[in-house]
Amino acid sequence: MSAPPDINEKIVECVSEIFNSMVMMDVSSSGENLSSLGEIKDSITAVVGLAGTHRGVVAVHLPNRIARAVTSNFLGTEIEEINEEVRDAVGELANMVGGNIKTMLSDNGADIDLSMPSTIGGDSYFFEKPHDVDTVIVPFDVPDGTFHVELQMARQ
Amino acid sequence: MGKNVLLVDDSKTMRMIIGRTLRQAGVGFDNVFEASDGLEALDVLDREDVHIVLSDINMPNMNGIEFLREKANRDAIKDIPVLMISTETGDDIMGEARELGAVGNIKKPFTVDKVDEVVTPLL
Repeated sequence: MSAPPDINEKIVECVSEIFNSMVMMDVSSSGENLSSLGEIKDSITAVVGLAGTHRGVVAVHLPNRIARAVTSNFLGTEIEEINEEVRDAVGELANMVGGNIKTMLSDNGADIDLSMPSTIGGDSYFFEKPHDVDTVIVPFDVPDGTFHVELQMARQ
Repeated sequence: MGKNVLLVDDSKTMRMIIGRTLRQAGVGFDNVFEASDGLEALDVLDREDVHIVLSDINMPNMNGIEFLREKANRDAIKDIPVLMISTETGDDIMGEARELGAVGNIKKPFTVDKVDEVVTPLL
């Protein structure tokens, strides 16, 4: 993979910084790398694309209850369902994770463009990767359960 | 006289977070205006009395750099200070922002202390 060898640790650092400073939620991770998530259930996934010297996507997969909790903390108000506010909040989360990863990958991120975030969610779906792509999937534990940050990168 | 701020970001969530962070930092504004892109921001600046703008860079329709460029061409609003709040940290894009009039930048994610440190001296 063309990402730095300590990419898992750096993903943990950046997600921890986001959660500590803006989500105000305790988060922890061993930094382990999963090979696949398989079927994703009752969740919402936010995705940003990377283009330039490094090509790929950054995805944040959140079970609905965690997505609601994150949004509640972001907005300072109780969120009862998956709605536009949740989709926006999760998208912004992916935007910040993607922005930090872009900075790690190359020259302060100057030669990598980040797309606008997109979201998808539902009762059951798969987030597949194309061929010739390397994947890093890092699990994170929060009070309401576990979510995952995934980095897919085209091999160089 | 009170001061008014314009928050420019395509994410409503982020605009709310910035507004909340400003309040937590004790940075008081009489009015908080919002815009979801550079075009809306220019429209607000034409209509309202704004003392400082906090703007994202990556936005649809008109991004933060394009907003700065267009704002610099309008005599009535060109001197209103603009602070960039973005995930972008590259020297190229920040250099361009400063050349177009941005007075500083705050990287996302940010803390209350950081916002206070950067915004308060500008008021």
